Amino acid sequence: MVNPKAGIHGWGAYIPIYRLPLSDIAKVWGWHPDQYKGLAVEEKAIAGSDEDALTMGYEAAYNAIQRAKIEPKKIGAIFFGTESKPYAVKPSATIIGEALGITPYTMASDLEFACRAASEGMRSLIGMAASGLIDYGLAIGSDTAQANPGDVLEFTAASGAAAFVIGKTNNAVAIIEDSVTFVTDTPDFWRRSSQPYPLHGEGFTGEPAYFYHIENAVKTLLERTGLKPSDFDYAIFHQPNGKFPVKVGQDLGFNMDQMKDGLVTPMIGNTYNASALMGLARVLDKAKAGQKILLAPFGSGAGSDAYLITVTDEVENRKHLAPMVDDYLNRKILINYATYARSRSIIHVIK
Amino acid sequence: MVVYVEGVGMTKIDRHYDFSLKDLAAKAAFNAIDQAGGTDGIDYLIFSSSLASLQDSQLDSASYLALSLGLKGVRALNVEAGEASGLAAISVAKSLLESHQADKVLVVGAEKLNEFVSSKVYKQLQMLYDGDTKSFYNIGFAGEAALLMRLYMDTYNVDRETMSYWPALMHSNAKENPYAMLNFAIKPDKVAKSQILADPITLLDSYPLGDGAAAVILSNKDVAKSPIAKISAIESSTGYGSIELSDDPLQFDSLSDAYRRISNIADVSNIDFIEIHDSFTITAMIILETLGLANRGKAAELVSTGYFSPGGKGPAANLSGGLKARGHPLGATGVYQIVESSLQVSGKFPGIKLSNAKKGLVVSLNGLGSSAYVALVEEV
Amino acid sequence: MSMDLSISRFWRKKEIIYKLNGAKCKSCGKVHYPPKNACPYCGSRDLEYIELPRKGKLISYTTIYAIPEGARSQSPIYFGLIDLGITKITAELTDITDPSILKKDMEVEATLRKTQEDRDAGLIYYVLKFRPVLVQK
Repeated sequence: MVNPKAGIHGWGAYIPIYRLPLSDIAKVWGWHPDQYKGLAVEEKAIAGSDEDALTMGYEAAYNAIQRAKIEPKKIGAIFFGTESKPYAVKPSATIIGEALGITPYTMASDLEFACRAASEGMRSLIGMAASGLIDYGLAIGSDTAQANPGDVLEFTAASGAAAFVIGKTNNAVAIIEDSVTFVTDTPDFWRRSSQPYPLHGEGFTGEPAYFYHIENAVKTLLERTGLKPSDFDYAIFHQPNGKFPVKVGQDLGFNMDQMKDGLVTPMIGNTYNASALMGLARVLDKAKAGQKILLAPFGSGAGSDAYLITVTDEVENRKHLAPMVDDYLNRKILINYATYARSRSIIHVIK
Repeated sequence: MVVYVEGVGMTKIDRHYDFSLKDLAAKAAFNAIDQAGGTDGIDYLIFSSSLASLQDSQLDSASYLALSLGLKGVRALNVEAGEASGLAAISVAKSLLESHQADKVLVVGAEKLNEFVSSKVYKQLQMLYDGDTKSFYNIGFAGEAALLMRLYMDTYNVDRETMSYWPALMHSNAKENPYAMLNFAIKPDKVAKSQILADPITLLDSYPLGDGAAAVILSNKDVAKSPIAKISAIESSTGYGSIELSDDPLQFDSLSDAYRRISNIADVSNIDFIEIHDSFTITAMIILETLGLANRGKAAELVSTGYFSPGGKGPAANLSGGLKARGHPLGATGVYQIVESSLQVSGKFPGIKLSNAKKGLVVSLNGLGSSAYVALVEEV
Repeated sequence: MSMDLSISRFWRKKEIIYKLNGAKCKSCGKVHYPPKNACPYCGSRDLEYIELPRKGKLISYTTIYAIPEGARSQSPIYFGLIDLGITKITAELTDITDPSILKKDMEVEATLRKTQEDRDAGLIYYVLKFRPVLVQK
């Protein structure tokens, strides 16, 4: 089988400034005060009232393009992965493309595959860049994650974005050496058309969905590449909470040292399409030339990708061209449930 | 050339829920017409209103007003220049008279600002500011003036308390004016404590949303029978109208131009009183300084010393109570100012009367000076 | 079913409101934003369009509580006069919960945000607003 390779040329993240302590959610909805402790998340990032998945995706992409050091017009495809797109019909990708100066000679579409749509975009861009169909492509994962108020999901559903400029391997900050996708029909989490919030199968989101798909994708990648967990410097998994990624990593033979830098959810909650990708952005903020990264995003419904990424020495030249994930993590304003409910339109108002 | 004020009329400014725009216009217009001896010889109706099309859902409102006033057949046109509409309408009337396209003109200014809820009116009033920049934001009617007020206070190191003397003076003047919307007195310290609209602008720094109408009959000399006042000169100019475009936003460039122009054609020295466009405390301060009636940064302090108060050393400012307290029914305001000034020079103003007032200067602006009009009203 | 806001009015200005495109006068050299049809300073029609700097300093600012229709969800509105070096602009400020952090000379930077929504079913409009700079250099 042919194994086309591509490079990551720029990376960028965005986390809104607002944080909601999970203790506030427990108080409002009558959960036991310790209910959320097992999730290993204390606060979640919340988009402001003038933000949505599109504005957050724009800023992450702006940062990625700054690091890629390319003319925006050289981007030939924009894939916007989200499950909280502002419009059900009308591409967010064209608005982002216009605002970033990428349009008009570009592909642009919004992708949907629960939390792994942006990763699907990345995999597509690998082939498109390697084949020469495009010079560069932009994959954006961004969500103002929705959860039914009062549902356990509400503890972790957070807002954030990550974006990557993918191109050929030369002059890249990291090389995507290989990747695998593993999908099945597994109905663990869904949102019907015209419904504001998703539902899920509780425990069914775990073993048959999250663990089964990630483990299969990662094992296949390891087999294909002949690598073992200890060959990696970093391992990053989709992070619906602080617990699942650690467990799946340990089950697969990775240790905390490999996983800690890519774990962002414990600090800001699950940013859905940006969840694992934000971890990758944070790892690239810190990584050194020659280091190997395992990346495994997951999306309900269900599927997982596994990537082998090798960092080049170019990474040092790009780190300081845009804010780092930690810059966004360190910038925060604590809000209460009422403010969160207002800014996320949980309070119904007549417009 | 000089034109004569033969008749005037105005309504009290208020929330006139029971009267339509045309009802109010008719009250003012009929007064002016009756005072001037009837409808005979009226060549033109100039109607001034900024928001008639939105608040009254009416286009070609001058023509429909003509019909409603029993003046079908008269030549009629609308004049719209935002908050400066009233003086713009007077200016157009004066031009028609001077060129003898008309010998007698009825100018009516009328506005309703209470036909819709306040948030919709704030959105309508945002149209006073440059749509190129401002229409994409949600700044309402006080946002840009608030930036100017803070800039003024920072630049000249003027404190909040000193600024508050202007609204207090306006309320004190309006208290005596039966046509004023806010005819009650306030102490300066109440201004800072009132509701904040756009920090540092408070409710008492700003004009109330009122409905009202004012009208004048203007004539040429050979037609005028018993004029109560004359308009000796009127001039105007246009300006940046936006705080960011001007290199010197603490002066209104349009007003400076208009004032220079009127100074070239008329004697505007030794003015007894002024009626100026104090849409906000800050606009009043900048107008006073642009006209040279106060040194830069010193207007507020001068106001606090009583310099512009009735009987003060300077020209008495806004004996009507100004936009602040008389009220500011946008398109009608300039006409109110002309009516009040005409009554003042003829000794008939129903509020505070200056003894021996001969000359008054009227200033009207839109927004932060996208346009500026200056008129000189004198005794006959 | 109706819409309150003009689709084309925003659409035709998108280069200006998404990218901060201003105009530089080739005759007098002054820059203004957004571009007018001729230079507001010298009247020349010889203008070139340039992207303005995305960072600047506050000259003046306000917190607006008298909120126009359609913007209640964003109340209060923070609004500033910003010095971009080559020109000044006014813009909404965002990511602020405490107005007391606003200070003269505070550094701010551009970011894309929602400005107006046409009720529940109409379009969402985006514009560059300014926020306190993320990374102090």
